[in-house]
Amino acid sequence: LILRTVFILVASLGILAALGTVLARNLVHAALFLVAFFFTIACQFVLLEAEFLAAIQVLVYIGAVAVLLLFGIMLTRNIQGDETTGGRALARIPGAIVALAVLAVLIAGIRGETSPAGGLRDKGSPSWTARTTRPPADAPGDPRGPIINQMAPAIGVELMTRYALVFEVAGLLLTAAVVGSIALAHGERDESAGTRPRRLARPAAGPIGPGDGASLVPTRSAPAPAPSASAPR
Amino acid sequence: MSQDIPLSWFLYFASAAFAAGLLGVLIRRNAIAVLMAIEIMLNAANINFIAFWRYGTPPPGEGPLTGVIMALFVITIAAAEVAVGIGLILLCYRRWKSADIDRYDSMAG
Repeated sequence: LILRTVFILVASLGILAALGTVLARNLVHAALFLVAFFFTIACQFVLLEAEFLAAIQVLVYIGAVAVLLLFGIMLTRNIQGDETTGGRALARIPGAIVALAVLAVLIAGIRGETSPAGGLRDKGSPSWTARTTRPPADAPGDPRGPIINQMAPAIGVELMTRYALVFEVAGLLLTAAVVGSIALAHGERDESAGTRPRRLARPAAGPIGPGDGASLVPTRSAPAPAPSASAPR
Repeated sequence: MSQDIPLSWFLYFASAAFAAGLLGVLIRRNAIAVLMAIEIMLNAANINFIAFWRYGTPPPGEGPLTGVIMALFVITIAAAEVAVGIGLILLCYRRWKSADIDRYDSMAG
């Protein structure tokens, strides 16, 4: 009974925080509501006995993502919210209708698939089943039993053995994302300053160059005709 | 054992959070607010992954940690997505002097 009370408390706080994130007009308030929402998600992970994931949630989401979003809010200087958030209430009605319809469909689907006690209905295909109550952590034959109490080393071993390829791909994706965001943040100034005049000046260097057509392709490996090309400009 | 939390409660919570995030994506016009709403939806999906991991019986040969690994990669993708999204929003803000997604209409026909 205590567990259910805690769940109801955490879930209602989480839904309130999510609605606050969505509906708050001040963007900084929205970001702080988002931090509260992430924290309730971490509490849900603890209730689901995934404490390592709760720690990861706090570190990554509250520590990195929320701070990054706050930096974005500060840099775009739109703290007072959209000037249209409260103005055009008519434009928000379709969005609210769509969201409520999706919520209704999801709840109807969950109600149709779960038994009144809250577990999944048995559909006759025993390949994957879930129960109303969670399986006990020390059940014999359940491979999750010893893992729940030692999740961090188990995740490390699984990432290095079974999910090694996915791990590498995720690392590649993170590298590409970081490089891409740096290129996005720095690309515009460099392009307007450096490359565009050189590319315009390069066809004028065609007669001077020794090649026939090969010098028309601007490459960085041939910097020699660049000063002579920039002279008539 | 009857005091345990039923599986469907987690699913209801996740769907409510998902609907809230969808509402935010649809009605907000600030780009950063839209990004926050996307984060809410990803977290709702994560709750579902962990709930099914904990309440279901894993099929043989799949390893004991599928849902947790999946949620971990969702967190990774979300972090990368926020990094790229903030970069794009700052670039658009520098160009249009606004973070309003209705004003980014260069490709409108």
